[in-house]
Formats: sequence, C-alpha cells, structure tokens
Amino acid sequence: MRYICTCCGYTYDPAKGDEMNQVAPGVEFDDLPDSWVCPLCYATKDQFDPLD
Amino acid sequence: MKVSVSSLYQAVELNQEIPPLLIGERCNPNGSKAFREALLAEDWDSCLKMALDQEARGAQVLDLCVAYAGRDELSDMNTLVKLFAGSCKAPLMLDSTSPETLSAVLPLYPGRAIINSINLEDGGANLDKICALAKKYGAAVVALTITEEGMALTCEKKVAAAKEIYRLAVEKHGLRAQDILFDLLTFTVGSGDEKMRDAAIQTLDAIKQVKKELPGVGFTLGVSNISFGLRPAARKVLNSVFLHEAVAAGLNTAIVDAAKVLPYVAISDEDRQLCLDLLFNRSDDALMNFIEHFEQAVEESDEEESDTLLEEQLRQKVLKGDKEGLEDLLTELRGRWQPLDIINGLLVPAMREVGELFGRGELLLPFVLQSAEVMKQSVNLLEPYMEKLSDEGRTSILLATVAGDVHDIGKNLVDIILSNNGYKVHNIGIKVPAEEIIAKAKELQVDVVGLSGLLVKSALLMKENMLQFQAAGLTQPVLLGGAALTPKFVAEDCVPGYENQVVYCADAFAGLKAIRDFESGSLQSTRWESAAVAANKPGPQQEGIDRSQIPPSVPFLGEKIIEDLPAEPLFNYLNQAALFRGRWGYRRGKMSKEEYAELTDKTVLPLYARLKDQALSENWLQPKVAYGYFDCCSEGDSLLVHSTSGEKRFDFPRQPAPPHLCIADYFRSAEEGGDKVGFFVVTIGDRLAEMTSELYASDSYHDYLMLHGLGVELTDGLAEYWHEQMRIEMGLQQQAQADVAAYVAQGYQGSRYGFGYPACPDLEAHLPLFELVKAQQIGVGLTESFEMVPEMSTSAIVVHHPQAKYFAV
Ligand code: B12
Ligand SMILES: [Zn+2]
Repeated sequence: MRYICTCCGYTYDPAKGDEMNQVAPGVEFDDLPDSWVCPLCYATKDQFDPLD
Repeated sequence: MKVSVSSLYQAVELNQEIPPLLIGERCNPNGSKAFREALLAEDWDSCLKMALDQEARGAQVLDLCVAYAGRDELSDMNTLVKLFAGSCKAPLMLDSTSPETLSAVLPLYPGRAIINSINLEDGGANLDKICALAKKYGAAVVALTITEEGMALTCEKKVAAAKEIYRLAVEKHGLRAQDILFDLLTFTVGSGDEKMRDAAIQTLDAIKQVKKELPGVGFTLGVSNISFGLRPAARKVLNSVFLHEAVAAGLNTAIVDAAKVLPYVAISDEDRQLCLDLLFNRSDDALMNFIEHFEQAVEESDEEESDTLLEEQLRQKVLKGDKEGLEDLLTELRGRWQPLDIINGLLVPAMREVGELFGRGELLLPFVLQSAEVMKQSVNLLEPYMEKLSDEGRTSILLATVAGDVHDIGKNLVDIILSNNGYKVHNIGIKVPAEEIIAKAKELQVDVVGLSGLLVKSALLMKENMLQFQAAGLTQPVLLGGAALTPKFVAEDCVPGYENQVVYCADAFAGLKAIRDFESGSLQSTRWESAAVAANKPGPQQEGIDRSQIPPSVPFLGEKIIEDLPAEPLFNYLNQAALFRGRWGYRRGKMSKEEYAELTDKTVLPLYARLKDQALSENWLQPKVAYGYFDCCSEGDSLLVHSTSGEKRFDFPRQPAPPHLCIADYFRSAEEGGDKVGFFVVTIGDRLAEMTSELYASDSYHDYLMLHGLGVELTDGLAEYWHEQMRIEMGLQQQAQADVAAYVAQGYQGSRYGFGYPACPDLEAHLPLFELVKAQQIGVGLTESFEMVPEMSTSAIVVHHPQAKYFAV
C-alpha cells in the first residue's frame, strides 16, 4: 500500500522503494525501520497517511 | 405507613411493593423537543398524547412542566392541568417553582398532586409560600437540596440542607414527614473529574442518613444524571445499576424514562461489576475500564432526537462542533443548573472527551477547533449570568513565544485548547524576552510557564531561558513546544538548566496532559534514552559530482524586484496534500479510503474552493519576489558570490558519512571556470497574517487554522512557481508546467534549498542573502533570530546542477 507524507505530499510507493533512504523496491511501508524519515521533509513515519 | 397520591381515577402508593415508583419526565419543554414544539404550537392534543404514551410505557406519576421563555406559565399550566386531570389515570406532579402558578392550578386538580419543587436557593421565601399552598391543598412536595451556596454536592451538605428544609416545612408549616420527597441530587461519575468521582457515594450515603435521621420522609431522584457524558448504551446500564443501589439505600420514587431502565436481573455480572466499581469509586481506572468495556456496546439510535436530554444535547453540540441553537439550549439549561455547573459539569467533560477522541485519532484537528468554539461561545453566553469566572483554584498558565520569534499559531492553538478545557491562560504574545517572562510569571503568580518557538534558534534560546529562569528564582514547571524542538534536546539541554520540571510537548494536547499531570502531582521532566533510534539521513547516493556541468545562461546579473504578480497562478502550484492533511489536519487516520474521499469531496474541497474565491475576489494576497543571479565559485565547503555590493560568502556543512555531500560541491571552483547561482525571497504579504490575527481574536478558531494553513501553503506555492520561472529563464525547462506532484518529488533539474533546512541549516545566511536580492524592497525584514517578517515569506538558494537534490547533514 502507498503512503503519503502529510507534511509535504511525498508518496512512498513500495513498488519503487526510496532511493534517498537506500530502500530497495518491494519493501512495504510497515516494514520500513522506525528511524526512516520522509526523504524530502524528514517527517517521521507517524506523519504518513495511507493512500490506497 | 401508607402514603399515596391520587388522580381523579385512582390512588397510587408512593411506597410500591416493588420500588421505585416511576415518575415520567417527558412532559417538559426543557427536556423534550417534541413537547416543547407542541407547547409552542399550543397543540394541546399532542401534549396529552405524550402524557398517555408515558403511562403506557410504565410511568405511575406524570411530571408536568410548562415553564418556558416567552410562554405564560400560569395560563399554559391552567389549560394542561384541566386537560390531563380528565384524561390521565396517573396522578400529576406539578412542576413549577412559582407560587402564583401553583396557587392557581392546585384548586383545579381533582386529586392529591405532588408539587415539584421547593428549595432554599433564595433563603426560604419561596419555600414558605409553596409550603403554605401544599398544606392548604394537601399536596405532597419534592424538596431539592439547593441552598444559597448552590447545589449540595457532599453527603454532609445534602443532609444539612434536608434537615433545614424539614425544619421549615414540618415545624413551621405543619406538613407531615411523609408529605416530603427529598431529591438529594446526583451528578455524573462519567466526566473523569477527580472531585466528582464519589458523586454516587455522596448521594447514596445521604439517602441512608436522611432516612435514618428524618424518619417517614420519602425520596425521589433524577437518576440519569449519574451518567451524563457517557454513551447512551452505557448510560442505560449504569442508570439501571445506580437505580438498583439507590432503591437499596431507601429511594422510593424515581424520575426516569420508564422505557429506559433495564431490569437488574437482565444485567450481566460483568456489567454490574464495572458499574459498581465506577459508582463506588473502587479503583483509579474504574471509569476507563467502564468506557472501554462499553465502547463495543451497540448504540441504540434514540427513537427521536427530541428525546435526548438537554445535557446530552449540549454534549453532542460540543462533540459535533455545532453552534446552532446554542443560546436557546443554554437558556433552558440555566433553568436546571448554575452557570458554573454547566461549565464544569457539562462543557469541560465534553471537551475532555473531544481531547480523548483526538488522541485516539477519531477526531481531526479542524473539528476539535470547532468544538472549542462551541465551548468558548457557551462560556461567553453564560458569563453574564454568573459572577466573573473566579480564577481561584484554577490552574493558570503563562504562554509566550520566545525572543526573536514571531511565530504565533502554535502558541495560540495551545491557548485555545487549554483555556477551553477550563484553565486560566495568560497569553503574553510573541518575541517575549526572558526578563519579561520572568516578571510576568512572578506578577501573575502562574502555576506553569509554557514557551513556544518555530526556529532552531528559538530552541537554543529556550535553553538559555532555563538558566535565566533558574537564576531569577522561578519555580514553576516549564513546558516547551515548537517545530524545531525534540525530546532529546529538551532532556539533554533544557532540563539540566532548571531545577523544576521541564517538559517537551509535541502538541497542544501533550500540553493539556502535562497540566493535568501537574495538578495530580505526577508531572515529570522529559527523559531521553540515548539507545533510542537515530533518524535516517536521507539523500542522493551519488558517487561523485560531475564537474563538467556548463553553467546556464542567466537573463541578467544582479537583483530584480517583481511586485505586480497576479495571485491566481499560485493556486496551481499549491500542494493540496500538504495543505489538507498537514496544515489543516484533515488526515485520513482510521478512515477507510471511501470515507476519506467523502470527507474530501464534501468538506475539504468545498472549503478550499470557497477560500480560493474569497482570496482572489477580496485581494488577500500580494505576492512579491526579490531575486537575482550572480557569478560565483566554490571554495572548499563555501560558496563565494560576486555582486556589486561586494563578495558574499556562504558556508555549508558537509555530511560526515558517505557520500559526504555539501551544497558547495554543485558549483565549479574558480579554477574550473566559476559558476552561476540564483537566490530568491518571496512573500505573499502581511494581509493574510493580519486577517488570521483577527479571526483568532474573535474566537473563530477553525477559520483561523484554515486561513493560516492556506497562506502558508500559498507561500510555498509562490516559491515553487518562482523556482520554475527561474528554471525557464535559465533554459533548464522549456515552459511552465505547474506539475505539483512532480515538483514535490523534485522532478526538475536542480534544486532550491531553503536556509534553515538541513542541507543549509544556518539562518544567519539570510544577512548576505538579503543584501544580494534587496528583500527589504518587497517589505520583508529580519528579526534578531534571522526569521523573516511577514511570516509568510520564504527564501532559497537556487542550484542548477542536475545532481543537486535534497539531503540532510
Ligand atoms: C508551515 C511551515 C512554514 C511556512 C509558515 C511558517 C510560519 N511562520 O508559520 C512557510 C512556508 C512560510 C515557512 C517558511 C520557512 N520555514 Co518553515 N516550516 C513550516 C512547518 C512545515 C510547519 C510549521 C507550522 O506552522 N506548524 C503548525 C503549528 C500549529 O505547529 P507548531 O508551531 O509546531 O505548534 C504545535 C506544536 O509544536 C506544539 N507547541 C508549539 N508551541 C508550544 C508551546 C507549548 C507550551 C506547548 C505545550 C506546545 C507547543 O503545539 C502546537 C499545536 O499543536 C515546519 C516544520 C514542522 N513540521 O513543524 C517548518 C519549519 C518551522 N520551517 C523551517 C524553515 C527553515 C523555514 C524557513 C527559514 C525556510 C526558508 N529559508 O525560507 C522559512 C522561514 C519563514 C520565516 N518567516 O522566517 C524549519 C525551521 C528550522 C530552523 N532552522 O529554524 C522547520 C522546522 C522545518 C524543518 N524541519 O527544518 N515554513
Ligand atoms: Zn514529507
């Protein structure tokens, strides 16, 4: 499932992963480490909303 | 002893074989909307029908009240008593405190009625008149334990008031003990209010004691008061268990809706235990356990909205943020409660519930603000009817934004939440130096000090403030909040500087919780476990920066001011996701995709459309830009910028870990032939900020947040728009695209870095930047913390290098 950053609008898409945080494609949002932050505005995981 | 009351048709014993005798409460314009409407329309048949309905549902006596603003009580009572007397089998309880009305209708009633009610609120003058009438017509009387001091809350006061009334009624007016039905009053145990936790115990003990000390008297009670504030399904169970206990204590009659009482045997053991734990205050978390357990219980939809009690209606208004009809509702409630009791007993518990819903993610911030507006307006409407809300005993808080910082909204939201939860807040504004905070804290003798700030600089200042507070001898706990603070910083840098508690608050509700902890003596300084996770530092993982990148051609060198920008295009660059979910707080939370889509379509988008229209037609925005292009070259971690006003130096930090990024690396050095750099400062002006202040001042909390959020995102939209213009001017992009989704993900060549953000955290860079682009010409200035004023302004360094993306150091 995709998640959106409520602070800046960045979308985390598991199909794409997150290069800026060195996250390979295929990782579900829930499986990202707690230390993961938005690659654009550094918001923490709890500031994300489910998109789908 | 047999005591009965009677109608034309029958006598009914007050002491039923299976107590209690049930008194129907619906024929009351203050408690039933249907009855009120019938009364106002003088639809007497409908009034009668409601009386007969209650009989059918088990009421053995019927309360009749017609006191309502704008109606002639005497004449309405006259009409209805005659009508009811001929048609109802159940004896009547004449619900009036007017001796005139009672003396007119008592002679009309062909039976033995009950008068509801007497009390000592006025010291006894009314009581004297009504007792004389009761004696003359042989009526029974309900006596409420209200004295000049107000409603009796404790057992001791209830008993004392009962004895005094007994003395007057029996010894002075010659009534018999059995003619009196004491209503010893009860209050909700559902509010979470510490002081009211033993409300049930006080009432039950008082019944037992009065029964012992004043033999022969009877009792009645508005049983459902015990559960105000709880959910209907839960209330029904709690009311029934309480009724059972009250009857065991000696209650012989009860004012309830007969259809809404469960037989005791029908209540499961588990349910009973939870109710008893709550009623008898057997543990600290009895209320939480009770609420959690009944959370699951199926809500029965009330047969008709009108059936809900007035008190419940007020709770609903707060929960729903609905101000319609508030004034009428409060006028009615004032007939039952003292204004202060409405505030402390009904409004504050409802706001507490709002906070809990927000905490569980079941209520969104915009709705919380609407609830706070209902609270605020209610208090305003009640204030004329009470002595000024006394500050004595209320916890007081001083709020300020620290020196050099003009950020208002975070602190104001805290003010809104705290003051509408019943606390006394002294909000002394923005840019407040430590000396002034200290002086005010001493002068006002506040219990707690709260500091707010937007910037990292403000966080550092808070650290200094702690030392100053300590040196000045302040002893109040200090709450700290604001975007740039972290619990780690507070624990490691602020806590050590001050002897008393220093507490990090992530949001206004964390502040509310801290105040409650303070009141209960459990407030503790923020602690930080260093073992906790360190946040990631995202950034592009490039191997090396391509040094062969040719600088773009720029349209001019030096600075330029743009003042006549149209406002409309800004909306095309506005980041709706950030506005709706972030700034406005319309998060999806626990909603399903469909529910969220509905919220967006029905509430959020229409609001956005309305504000956009107004912003454009009423000229809320004055977008202005100061920008420029300059020759430059990198030198190590710095960028040297050449301009007619001299060379300016910008120092940038370098990532300590691979890939060791630093903004300076995106520019060629002098040896490599130098480079070009852009800068801008943009603002939407101060009109919107002024309007938001006005909204705040007029208690329009919801609109305040909405407008502020809109302004903030338009500022960012303007930056996005201008960055695109500059890319077009430099030939990095062909034409305007206004593709917000792509721009969020930096889907363009180059990057704009705002000073203060992690790749270039030093806000002091605003000094050379302002000299370069002459931002003062568009009315933007700097505070001593290098914050821009008007607040809805933003700045950036514009980098053209294709590898330049956001990163954190
Ligand atoms: C919206 C925003 C903007 C807007 C509006 C700014 C404004 N004045 O409101 C715009 C786009 C204009 C902007 C510009 C800038 N911003 Co900005 N911005 C933000 C953002 C995303 C949200 C701030 C906000 O309005 N929040 C809403 C309010 C209601 O929340 P709040 O103030 O935090 O208050 C809540 C809590 O903190 C708490 N609280 C606050 N105070 C207190 C006090 C007590 C006692 C208690 C109990 C609780 C409490 O309760 C409040 C309500 O729940 C933050 C990042 C973030 N996520 O917070 C960055 C942020 C504040 N911005 C930042 C920066 C760098 C800037 C700029 C300098 C960028 C630039 N170079 O242009 C400029 C400076 C603007 C200026 N005037 O000088 C940095 C500041 C870091 C620093 N170096 O100081 C932040 C922290 C982003 C970041 N992660 O780096 N920004
Ligand atoms: Zn983000």
